[in-house]
Amino acid sequence: MTSFRKRNVQKPIPGTRTSPHTAQIITSSGNPYLDVVIGGGLPVGSICLIEEDRFMTHAKVLAKYFLAEGVLSKQEIFLGSLDDIPAEMLRRLPRPLTEVEQREEQIASEQTGETGENGLRIAWRYNDLPLVSSEHATAKIGHHFNLMEQMDSRMLYYANTVIWDDSHKDNWIGDGELSKSSSPSISMDQQPMAEAMGEEDSTAVEPEANVEADADGDIKPLDNNATTAATDSTANNTATVTTNTKTGSQPAVWPQNVFHNTRYGGLLNDIQQQLRDESFITGTKKHLCRVCLTSLGSPLWYDDNFGEDLLKFLTLLMASVRNCNSVCLITMPMHLIAKYDASLVPKIRQLVDYAIELESFAGSERETHPAFKEYSGLLHLHKMSALNTLAVHMPETTDLAFKLRRKKFVIERFHLPPELQESPANPQSALAADDIMASPKCGSNVLINSNASASLDF
Amino acid sequence: MATSVLLACGLNEQKLPGFVHISEESNVDGSFLISCILGQRLRISNAGTLLVCLQHHYQHYFNAGMRLGYNTNIFQGKTLNVIDVLSDMASEGLSCKWLKNPDGLTLTEQLVEDIRAQVESNYANRNSYTILIDNLSILFNLGASKLQVQQFCQDLASLAKERDNLTVITKLSNSDIYQPTDNNVAKLGQVRIQVVRLKSGVFREVDGKLLIERVLDEGSYACEEARKEVLYKVNDRNVKVFTPGEVGVKV
Repeated sequence: MTSFRKRNVQKPIPGTRTSPHTAQIITSSGNPYLDVVIGGGLPVGSICLIEEDRFMTHAKVLAKYFLAEGVLSKQEIFLGSLDDIPAEMLRRLPRPLTEVEQREEQIASEQTGETGENGLRIAWRYNDLPLVSSEHATAKIGHHFNLMEQMDSRMLYYANTVIWDDSHKDNWIGDGELSKSSSPSISMDQQPMAEAMGEEDSTAVEPEANVEADADGDIKPLDNNATTAATDSTANNTATVTTNTKTGSQPAVWPQNVFHNTRYGGLLNDIQQQLRDESFITGTKKHLCRVCLTSLGSPLWYDDNFGEDLLKFLTLLMASVRNCNSVCLITMPMHLIAKYDASLVPKIRQLVDYAIELESFAGSERETHPAFKEYSGLLHLHKMSALNTLAVHMPETTDLAFKLRRKKFVIERFHLPPELQESPANPQSALAADDIMASPKCGSNVLINSNASASLDF
Repeated sequence: MATSVLLACGLNEQKLPGFVHISEESNVDGSFLISCILGQRLRISNAGTLLVCLQHHYQHYFNAGMRLGYNTNIFQGKTLNVIDVLSDMASEGLSCKWLKNPDGLTLTEQLVEDIRAQVESNYANRNSYTILIDNLSILFNLGASKLQVQQFCQDLASLAKERDNLTVITKLSNSDIYQPTDNNVAKLGQVRIQVVRLKSGVFREVDGKLLIERVLDEGSYACEEARKEVLYKVNDRNVKVFTPGEVGVKV
């Protein structure tokens, strides 16, 4: 008998890998640029909060990336929203790029990088540097997507998706009773293929409702009225589709005395039911569930006990997500929540593992500012916490900006436009530089303090 | 691994003060301190520890402990006992006892009862006993009032006074928001550790600052206190501390 033993290597969860730095199991957020910023991907059991921009354009794009990645990685998806129509959102997921397209895009970006936008080259030695330094991964996770095109409906058909839109609110019953009515869960599995294909055909050629492409290829939001009108029309179109996909399943139980607003109880109950599935138990490494909640805490959630309910919901959500193989992405209109109660903002950030704010230039003075013309907005990393490890990954720089291009959402290191002349001929550019230097949002934007100049630490 | 930070906080001895409070500012993560203290207590032979998990699951402390060079699973059920509130809420859902009020008991009262029961069953067999609570602000999120949290801490402080060699260590996040509660809880103990961020922004070599206040002698008319300030950096497998002025720009 030999001492040789066959090594039992556990099969990894599809779409995940082990981080070489923290030894955590991580999965892609869907956007390769965001993955680089957060250290390769989102750790399993973590909650990522995207603080929405004012027009909710960019946060939704990140949510779509997150969902699309789940579909491609054959992970289960839970999508909940009051503001959006989840079924419609799923149909508008971006199309994944094929390997050939990825290679072409890479070559194209390399060529652009070599010559620059105006054929300008600042210094040849910076050519090889990536925009944001990427981590050397042992196994690659994540895909690339094309935002201009929509995902094939056949891919969605085979995806395990549960959506929640509070359309069931009249069906809740008292504690202990069993429901005979339909469940809030709507499974995309059971949607007829032909119907899905038909709907896809009608919506495939439609452009994004709230974005338009400009001449440079960058995408900018339309004005508010147009967006609202477009959303309304979409809502009308999809109402019939949503009702057709409803199926009956397990009974729901009224969560008494826990929340004042019953919607939180309903949503949490559905999430917990989904996450209690055997395939998501930690240690089994079978499947991963992606929970995506968009516009949580929007005015549709408001009531007298809004803050109390929201904090309790997030605490219970944190408990559930950390207890199994799942990862959660939440988008929240934090600028509105801050107006409702400013003390809620740090309390909410405490309950998530990653808090990322998207500060869009749309509608602000910075939209036409010469210093920011390359970007759609700034990305602020408010919180990155160490989950299941001791130290947290810190990106090389926290001065980050994003731009929404025609096909992709790019996150870059923020930099000033190059100074082409010795003295600023244009006084506006000098003002721009001053403005950036004076801006509290620029510079080290993680955990920045308003009275930074008051004292020094060293 | 974490000796230097414990030494700076004065928590490296076998006998700890009766009540220690850790305050965290908003957006500052001080949970490394809990992992460091937990490791130190587990290494002492026949020292009992009770971990009350409110912010992280037990699994987090296990993984963080492995990074610091100790295995909590070896001690669990022997010298280490765990009340994992988060896991209970995740597994039992909305019908969990922490979310209901069975027998008219509030969340904090239930927690005190559970802690007392653990102390009663384990304290007699141990040379010393430490109760680690991470973190009090979750109690606010779960609906506890400021008064209830204050009462909860006072109950724990009285528990520590009743017994020799029993230490209670609490942590409160967002201490800048719950300032009065934070101060009141800190007044119950002898050592207060504040984890604060750097006022000047972010620095790659330093994560933040620890302000340590220790009551040396609480007389009838005057209270003698010692204050210390150190900078810290949490690395992958250890925590380093620096005295202000030690870290500078390397040319």
